[in-house]
Amino acid sequence: MLKNPQHPKKTNYRSRECLFTKSGFNYIDYKNIDVLKKFTNDQGKILPRRVTGTSAKFQRQLTLAVKRARHLGLVPFVAENFR
Amino acid sequence: MKKNYYELTYIVNPVLDEEQTKATVAKFTDFLTNNGAEIDEMNEWGLQSLAYEINRKNTGYYVNAYFNAPGELIAKLERQMQIDDNVMRYLTLKYDNKMLAYRELQKSGTVPQLRERATDEEKN
Repeated sequence: MLKNPQHPKKTNYRSRECLFTKSGFNYIDYKNIDVLKKFTNDQGKILPRRVTGTSAKFQRQLTLAVKRARHLGLVPFVAENFR
Repeated sequence: MKKNYYELTYIVNPVLDEEQTKATVAKFTDFLTNNGAEIDEMNEWGLQSLAYEINRKNTGYYVNAYFNAPGELIAKLERQMQIDDNVMRYLTLKYDNKMLAYRELQKSGTVPQLRERATDEEKN
């Protein structure tokens, strides 16, 4: 399994730092769509903590912010022309 | 009476002509002021495209407001919003201490920016 160079455990895709803590955030605004987009995939799904490295505290806030933005039609639930 | 700080965002039907839109916005602004709210800031974002279709429409007229109000007002306001056919979506948020601190930063224009991820070379 680990001989495969494509295996996720081998690649360095996971980062061990929380960007929000690093940048000195204390609240994630749902109106800040550029930030929310960085933590969702092309389909509009929220990326898991193990991929983005976000701390638990901010992941909870991020989830709430994304859901609020979705309610107001700022961010899609499911991207429309996703193939 | 104890007042809290709130934020309200709502989407007005884009099909209305300019006057009707103005009337709808004015109606809710008056509703707030007449019921003991002090409006702190109001922004009309104008017509914006929606990320997905709401009520078979692809655009919406966004209005965003910050105000101080007694808590009883919010239930009444949301009731009015639900009754009004021209309001497609609304969101009211009560600001807690953390959010108030953020709001202060926003007013002074020093909101923290998201930093870039450190590249592998920087880490080593």
